[in-house]
Amino acid sequence: MRKGLIQATDAFERIVHWSLAASCLILCITGLGMMFQSFNFIGTVMGGLKSLKYVHNFTGLLFIVALYFTIRMWWKEAGVFSMPEDLEWMMCAGGYLWHVDKVPETGKYNPGQKAFFLVVAGCGVMMVITGLIMWFPLSFPTELVRWMFVLHALGFVTIFSFFFVHLYLGTIGSPGSLDAMLSGWVTRAWLKKQHPKWLKEMEHEGKLVVYGEEKTAAGGHGH
Amino acid sequence: MAQKTKLIDIAKCTGCRGCQLACKQWNQQPAAQTENYGTYQNPPDLQSNTWTLIRFQEIADKDGVKWIFRKDGCMHCTDAACVKVCPSGALQYTEYGTVAINNERCIGCKECVTACPFDIPRYDRVTDKITKCDLCLTRIQAALEPACVKACPTGALKFGDKADMLKAAYKRATALGGNANVYGDKFVDGTHVLYVLPDKPGTYDKLPAKPSVPLSIIVWKDLLKPLSLLAAGGVIAGSFLHYIIHGPKLPDEDQNHKGGE
Repeated sequence: MRKGLIQATDAFERIVHWSLAASCLILCITGLGMMFQSFNFIGTVMGGLKSLKYVHNFTGLLFIVALYFTIRMWWKEAGVFSMPEDLEWMMCAGGYLWHVDKVPETGKYNPGQKAFFLVVAGCGVMMVITGLIMWFPLSFPTELVRWMFVLHALGFVTIFSFFFVHLYLGTIGSPGSLDAMLSGWVTRAWLKKQHPKWLKEMEHEGKLVVYGEEKTAAGGHGH
Repeated sequence: MAQKTKLIDIAKCTGCRGCQLACKQWNQQPAAQTENYGTYQNPPDLQSNTWTLIRFQEIADKDGVKWIFRKDGCMHCTDAACVKVCPSGALQYTEYGTVAINNERCIGCKECVTACPFDIPRYDRVTDKITKCDLCLTRIQAALEPACVKACPTGALKFGDKADMLKAAYKRATALGGNANVYGDKFVDGTHVLYVLPDKPGTYDKLPAKPSVPLSIIVWKDLLKPLSLLAAGGVIAGSFLHYIIHGPKLPDEDQNHKGGE
């Protein structure tokens, strides 16, 4: 670890993130195996499509746990918009799509990330509810179950496409971001570019944890 | 191969339930203990080991009491909701236009139970699989008629080429007159089981007057299913374009270098 790096996430955040990511990915892949007959072969490596069904269903239970911690952990930081600066940011798309001279400064999460979080959290809850009903379809009214399938598919359309947005912006689309979820340590330059307001806040409140420097205050997330 | 169809002439049925028994015998399904709940209908409903059933109804009107016997079972739709939703391809169309089920491939997801507009597929807890009538596919392949048709003593059940059965059905409906009508050719692109109903379809228990592949199933399978891959593909293409046109978001160059640069 180089001196001067700043801690952006703690271990708990990263564990929750990757638990959600792994379970979500397994659910997407196994879900595709059942949604398209041409992807039935995905079940072959699991010992058949029936096993794939069980992998999907029980991974769903892990997803519930990961989703619970995700929402509990990030709700305050990413679930609430702070107006009007978030609206201004939205109006210029955060400078991601066209040239913007001065992008409104963002805190720990920019409005795009907040929207992403809200969609994932909302769709995640929807997937859990619809999925559980689909698991026991004979215990619910037929017409209800039919629309559960529709909502489950709609959630998949959303989550699956959002996944690729996330993949792009978390890696090559925004170099330096991946470190925040791998080691948790990011460069000051990255932080200044991506989350300048948060950097200022942390500096102001003395919460900044810099590698190689003595802690000025107790860092961490306060779970 | 010519499309095959079973014709059920309700007016000729005496409720002997020979078809019900022949079905069980041919498909080697033991009877289960049932309870008498005050009707001739037995067992009470289709089961994982009862693929056809005579539904019994008593209708009282000004002319007195009327008995209805309706043989219920898979309608073998041309546009079958069960085939549409089946994730494993266990439910398939046959060369005869009927809907067969490949037991080996069934994963017991029960999606067909939910999708079927006629409420036909049944889930077997023991095998964790779905069962339903396959119109005696192996018998048709051997140029035999289905077991239920073979057993019918009154000619209420007939089996043959679809065109012939349709012709016979309309001839019979005309002969019966009154409200008599042909049921099965006007929806889901035509079923491979036809009824000649002496009364309007709404008269009969558990027989939908206007069955269709549910809208939810169409939205799910014809709209959202392809959209899932299209949307993901669009996002991947969009990300690539963003990368080569706008470029990634990089930290500013002119930062001072105390931040681990």
